[in-house]
Amino acid sequence: MPDQEKEKPAAPATTETAVAPAPPKAAAPPEEPSQQPFFGEPLVGFDPSEITGSLIVIEGMDGSGRSTQIALLQEWLESEGFAVQTSGLRRSNLVGRDIDELLAKNAVTRLTLALMYATDFFDQIEHRILPALRSGTIVLADRYIFTLIGRGVVRGINRDYMGGLYAMALRPHLTFWLNVRPETAFGREFRKAQAISYWEAGRDMSLSHDLYWSFIRYQTMIKREFEVMAKKHNFIELDGEASVSTVNKLLRQRIAEQLGIRSTKYTPSSALSHLWR
Amino acid sequence: METQDVVQKPARTEPAKSTLPQPGRPIPSRSYPGALIVVEGTDGSGKSTQLYLLKRWLEIGGYRLHFTEWNSSPLVKSATRRGKQRRLLTPTTFSLLHAADFADRCERQIMPLLQGDYLVLADRYIYTAFARDTARGCSPRWLRNLYRFAPVPDITFYFRAPLDVAVNRILSGRPKLKYYEAGMDLGLSYDRAESFRLFQARILEEYDKMVDTDSFVVLDGTMPVNKLQKQMRDIVASKIDLKRFAPRAEAAE
Repeated sequence: MPDQEKEKPAAPATTETAVAPAPPKAAAPPEEPSQQPFFGEPLVGFDPSEITGSLIVIEGMDGSGRSTQIALLQEWLESEGFAVQTSGLRRSNLVGRDIDELLAKNAVTRLTLALMYATDFFDQIEHRILPALRSGTIVLADRYIFTLIGRGVVRGINRDYMGGLYAMALRPHLTFWLNVRPETAFGREFRKAQAISYWEAGRDMSLSHDLYWSFIRYQTMIKREFEVMAKKHNFIELDGEASVSTVNKLLRQRIAEQLGIRSTKYTPSSALSHLWR
Repeated sequence: METQDVVQKPARTEPAKSTLPQPGRPIPSRSYPGALIVVEGTDGSGKSTQLYLLKRWLEIGGYRLHFTEWNSSPLVKSATRRGKQRRLLTPTTFSLLHAADFADRCERQIMPLLQGDYLVLADRYIYTAFARDTARGCSPRWLRNLYRFAPVPDITFYFRAPLDVAVNRILSGRPKLKYYEAGMDLGLSYDRAESFRLFQARILEEYDKMVDTDSFVVLDGTMPVNKLQKQMRDIVASKIDLKRFAPRAEAAE
């Protein structure tokens, strides 16, 4: 991983005008003391020194606003001249659709499902995320290993086992956690589809026959796992209850700092303005 | 008798505890009444023939048994086929997909049958993944973790045949080797037969490393089929109390 030149955080909003390209700050201390590029084991046949892009992860439960924020961030970064690639769960060419089918049929056991998700994850890492990072692209990941680990752990799979499974996952440059109350998330999710899906509510875990309580209990369990991981993996926790524009501004500030972007000024285009509330 | 309690609240019970060994916890190999017999060895070592004969012997004797094959779960099959046809698989995803296949069979067949007092025969087991995926470059530590949920076999037969014998058996009977089967993804050689040979040599080396650590019962794959089978049956009879798996009517006094 190349040393990240640490830029001063963008100036306060009032003086947020475009400034002449800044000379790179010399002798900046490295972000973290020699972070390993992988969580544990190196990935077979891959040289981490080839990474020139940045991996930015947005985590949070269903209804925390992840996909909205990613759409906005993509537009902002592209307007700043960065190439952006997005990734998310179940999007691999290898098994993305197979997982959809398994979930629809509901004929799969927890360990098999966890391993199918791991296959999906590493297929995307190897065929999508790493090639993008090698070419200097910014990868915005809609969820990452933390969701997958959390889902396994609340279903009784050993925490070390899940951690070991993802030992070769690339360590993100930034991990944001959009933290919302399960009650808020329920309302948002329900409005989206006028229903709550079997898996969102963790129905496979027989927590409650009442869909609402099943959702709340399940998402609360996941949230607790996130609290454990947040400390361990330096999550940047944001209040997902805040307005879209407030959360987006906090995200832009932190990302601008990471990428050395001087201005965090952004107004969504008409195509995305409906998200801005 | 008439049922008086018409409105009976459905009992809301806790989800039944899974019988699957928890990944990460040491697995007591005797926590279930059944028994697990596994055959391992390189392609062409004769293991499948021998396991088939063992199965026939037990079937004819009327024993309760189940036979399971590596890479055979219908759930994962389409993904594996697609990955192989389009050559999408890397060492890591190849390994994970086989682990998903094994987990499916383990959770839905092997463990329930071991709990239900069956004799389970497995043609290839986790050691196939250890040997093959390590030969592909996966980390042994990662692989051992990946398969921590697997029950430890009661007997693991390792059919050992010299590389040339095993390779020639395959090459003479199977003129067209498949891409991953030949280890072409490793880039060892452009010639499929040569690539296969080099790949098998690596796998053989990995198997040999596990003989002591995983208590393999080593059998000589070059012996005549019937003599080898006799040895195998003797070992099974001495190590496993087969009477327990005899037809239930007789077993109950």
